Amino acid sequence: MGREHLTNDEFFAQLNNLFEYNRNTGHGSVYLSQKRLIFDTESQPKTPTKVADDPLWDTHPENPLPILVRAHNNRSSKLDGKSKGTDRKDVDKISISTVVQPEKLDAFFVQYAEACKAGMSGLKKRDRRGKKDKKKKKKGAAETKG
Amino acid sequence: MPYLETSAEWYEQSSLLLKARPTTTHITSKYTVLKPNARKIKKHTKYLEKRAARPADSSRPTSEAPAADSALEPKATFVLKTYDPASGTCLQYQTTKAAEVGRLIGSLGRLGRHQAALPEGMEDLGAPAEATGISTPQMEEDVKMGGAPAEAKANGGGKKKKKGKK
Repeated sequence: MGREHLTNDEFFAQLNNLFEYNRNTGHGSVYLSQKRLIFDTESQPKTPTKVADDPLWDTHPENPLPILVRAHNNRSSKLDGKSKGTDRKDVDKISISTVVQPEKLDAFFVQYAEACKAGMSGLKKRDRRGKKDKKKKKKGAAETKG
Repeated sequence: MPYLETSAEWYEQSSLLLKARPTTTHITSKYTVLKPNARKIKKHTKYLEKRAARPADSSRPTSEAPAADSALEPKATFVLKTYDPASGTCLQYQTTKAAEVGRLIGSLGRLGRHQAALPEGMEDLGAPAEATGISTPQMEEDVKMGGAPAEAKANGGGKKKKKGKK
């Protein structure tokens, strides 16, 4: 992952593309991950001494640390012999990453939630069952009326 | 690796893990859409043929028909995983419901606060977006803000009393 990080806005645009791509193909995965970013230029020289002094230094750092958020799809390769019956295609791995500064964290996750809600359209909708029940009820009502 | 049963439990355990090992723990989530494979389709068509062959159970087919269609639809799942390579702890939660996504990403955000080493208390929506970097002055402002209405109320009360006296 030697690529440069995107800005938060660019990241969301790319994330939407990933989800859109997933929707178009009709199958596949989108992976999202988040972790603390420790290999920062400022904090790096401090860490060795801290480790020596206190093994639990990382539970109470002096300053809030940024978070690294990554997203990627799954790569698939077209197999000559095996994929005859399927519509499997060559798909390159697309990976994107961004650094979220602690001040922007909450705003980022609000936007993140919106992007994910919009993107994960394959999941079961909440009101499906209810609609069916309503339809049944309506039908029942119509029958009683008729 | 077992899946935790509720998202609340997953959040709780993950936050404990993050408190213990904030640097090494990472959270991965996977959204997958899978088409049914060839074998499943074959199995399903066989099952349909079998059912068509014996129409004796007349009462059930209407209720089973939608379930049969859904077996051939692509299946989407959303899996959350908190993993700490240092201790080997792995916490997972899986869902297929779209309704849960918003809440789960919200808890990802709250866990993100642990990862960023931000104070935990700012869980109120709206306020934390600005209050993160400069928490103490913000609090003071809040106190002032809180103080001002109280005074206003006091004044109002006084006026009312005066009015009452008149």
